[in-house]
Amino acid sequence: MYSTALEYLPAIPELFLLSALCCVLVVDLFLNERQRDVTFLLSQLSLLVTLVLVVVFHSDSPRVIFANSFVADTMATVLKAFICLIVLGVFVYSRRYLIVRGLYRGEFFVLGLFGVLGMMILVSGHNLLSLYLGLELLSLSLYAMVAFDRDSARASEAAMKYFVLGALASGILLYGISILYGMSGTLDLIGLSEYLRREGTGNIGAVLALVFIVVALAFKLGAVPFHMWLPDVYHGSPTPVTVYIASASKIAGFAFVMRMLVEGLGPLHNDWQDMLIILVVLSLAIGNLVAIAQTNLKRMLAYSTIAHIGFLLLGILAGTRQGYSASMFYTIVYAITSLGAFGVVLLLSRVGFEADRLDDLKGLNDRSPWFAFIMLIIMFSMAGVPPTVGFFAKFYVLRAVIDVDLWWLAVVAVAFSVIGAFYYLRAVKMMYFDNPLDRSALEETSGMRIILSTNGLAVLALGIYPTALLTLCTRSLMW
Amino acid sequence: MILDIYLVLFWLFSAVAVFAALRVITVRNPVHAVLFLVLTFFTCAALWMLLEAEFLAIVLVLVYVGAVMVLFLFVVMMLDINVAPVREGFIQYLPLAATVAVIVVVEMALVVGSKTFRPNQMAAPAPAAAGASNTEELGVLLYTKYLYHFEIAAAILLVAIIAAIALTMRKRPQTKYQNPAQQVQVRKQDRLKIIKMEPEK
Amino acid sequence: MLENYLPILIFLAVGVVIGGAALAAGMLIGSRRPNAAKDSPYECGFEAFEDARMKFDVRYYLVAILFIIFDLEIAFLFPWAVVLDEIGLAGFAAMGIFLLILVVGFIYEWKKGALEWE
Repeated sequence: MYSTALEYLPAIPELFLLSALCCVLVVDLFLNERQRDVTFLLSQLSLLVTLVLVVVFHSDSPRVIFANSFVADTMATVLKAFICLIVLGVFVYSRRYLIVRGLYRGEFFVLGLFGVLGMMILVSGHNLLSLYLGLELLSLSLYAMVAFDRDSARASEAAMKYFVLGALASGILLYGISILYGMSGTLDLIGLSEYLRREGTGNIGAVLALVFIVVALAFKLGAVPFHMWLPDVYHGSPTPVTVYIASASKIAGFAFVMRMLVEGLGPLHNDWQDMLIILVVLSLAIGNLVAIAQTNLKRMLAYSTIAHIGFLLLGILAGTRQGYSASMFYTIVYAITSLGAFGVVLLLSRVGFEADRLDDLKGLNDRSPWFAFIMLIIMFSMAGVPPTVGFFAKFYVLRAVIDVDLWWLAVVAVAFSVIGAFYYLRAVKMMYFDNPLDRSALEETSGMRIILSTNGLAVLALGIYPTALLTLCTRSLMW
Repeated sequence: MILDIYLVLFWLFSAVAVFAALRVITVRNPVHAVLFLVLTFFTCAALWMLLEAEFLAIVLVLVYVGAVMVLFLFVVMMLDINVAPVREGFIQYLPLAATVAVIVVVEMALVVGSKTFRPNQMAAPAPAAAGASNTEELGVLLYTKYLYHFEIAAAILLVAIIAAIALTMRKRPQTKYQNPAQQVQVRKQDRLKIIKMEPEK
Repeated sequence: MLENYLPILIFLAVGVVIGGAALAAGMLIGSRRPNAAKDSPYECGFEAFEDARMKFDVRYYLVAILFIIFDLEIAFLFPWAVVLDEIGLAGFAAMGIFLLILVVGFIYEWKKGALEWE
């Protein structure tokens, strides 16, 4: 009996987070409006302890528990740690925005923590059903968070679109999973990949299932042509929720693609490589070109996300360990950078003022030179200007693609990145060379100032010294 | 002989299911559409029964027909869609829809016609023994092998509770309602006042 | 195994036949002489004031969705009850945790007042 309890040690962070968030939910019920900070602090504490537990219970050899449903390997540890860190940042950035709009309620944090739990389950999923359930837990929390501002028609519309399309994508995913299960008779990723290796190529049934799964993945990640929901959701949802979707959930998306396509459907690499190439080229093109036409900052960053998703998939489609680790590096870097970008939007917002137009960035240098500098670093990193980390992220991905002789794809990626640099640099120009439209002082809190500065400087520091994170990513993928 | 009865039942139930599913999207009255959806679920449950998935068939009737469809009816009535203009834009979208439909049919035919999906590719599973219980087998797997997924299901249900309440619950300050706890706690002194007064003559 | 369900099938068939027969008999034998007054909606002798279709309160929706959630929870209890002998203490604990998580949800909805009709 004792040994079976010890067997569950790798899942301690998840178990802790589940119990902690149940406690937060119940404690929040007994607090009045003015004591809401207790909920905030308890949520932050739960995340922090989860982060510590993730690191403490790490072991270099992968451990598989719950009848092959759950795996704790280095990739899981690294991704979970970054998810916890980023959501910690999201909560800090969100606090003032939520307070001034009367949205500072316990449910926001509880749903956010449930999303983290879903992401952790997804990251550790070692079985088709675990992946599906983790994804559903994450998506359900996200739908509710998008609709969180109930009186906003735009948020409700965004939630509706997100929910309907997301549910459709989940249905498509389940259909693909059911075909795979029907053929192989196993839900286990290892069993599945062994079955596919035995079958060899030319198994049209497996390819049919693969099509469904790739479509569902593209939907959830927002790759063109399955991106329609993304700009509306980014634009419509309250900005704290947009940050959440734009940063942490992308890490979970990366893990989902890795577990599903690489670990489970690895033997079909040739088939999914072609599909991903189409997604990548379209995402890079549409994302970068349409972003230029946007006047709304949140929509612009939404299209920029689509372009970055293209890069993320670019590394994976190379199909080498170098490509996977480059993609992992890219995802983590993107999550951190995008957290900072939306952090600045949240910093500029006030009561009744969303600060989500591109024009609202005008003259930021006059109002706050320091945060204009932080935004400068972030925009440079998104555009891929050295010495920020965004440059190295793009560089590693491109190197991996060139190593598998997909020269033309690398050229396309570089060309669209150059086009993409235009709208990032336009934002920088607005901050430094245009006159501000309003000169009111920024309502910054000390927590926000510290975290946002750290966030921006981290982007710079990682760019100057990218080796540590890259080594971590490479080590994560040694299976 | 037995097999033939199963085959007849299969065709009967699938025909009804397809007919009802078609009616769901073609009838004008949304309430009728919901009722046809109920019929679709019901015949699907019968089909699952033929596959010896008894527990799932009964859950389908209990949960979907019993609860989800009631919710659908509430929503249809809440939205007050009277008789929907179903065929609005039908002609306009017809060419696109028809093209997509043809492509899907051709693709499905190619896949189903390939050698992977031939019926003889996989042997038909042996029928369960006379005393076997589908519910029991499901139970043994669900609470041991799929324990992890079972607990995640609880978390998903909890999210559903929180989301439903956070998104639809509104306190209405102006409504008057009774508080039974207060009513019970009322003491004699609070309500009853005994006044001494002179008897009238 | 499916032989056990034969009575249910017969029951269904009989139900369909009787229901259909009653409708058909009414259609065939009954006399139908409609007129304008007969076809008009009847509302205590008045002209109808408004459309019979009216909006439901959103609160019904909340009640229905909470019902579905607990209905699903109960659906999980059936197979558990059947196999409790075989899965032993571990299975018992599994259901204990499952119910505990949902009890948290129950406390939440109770305290929030979602179970009150106001």
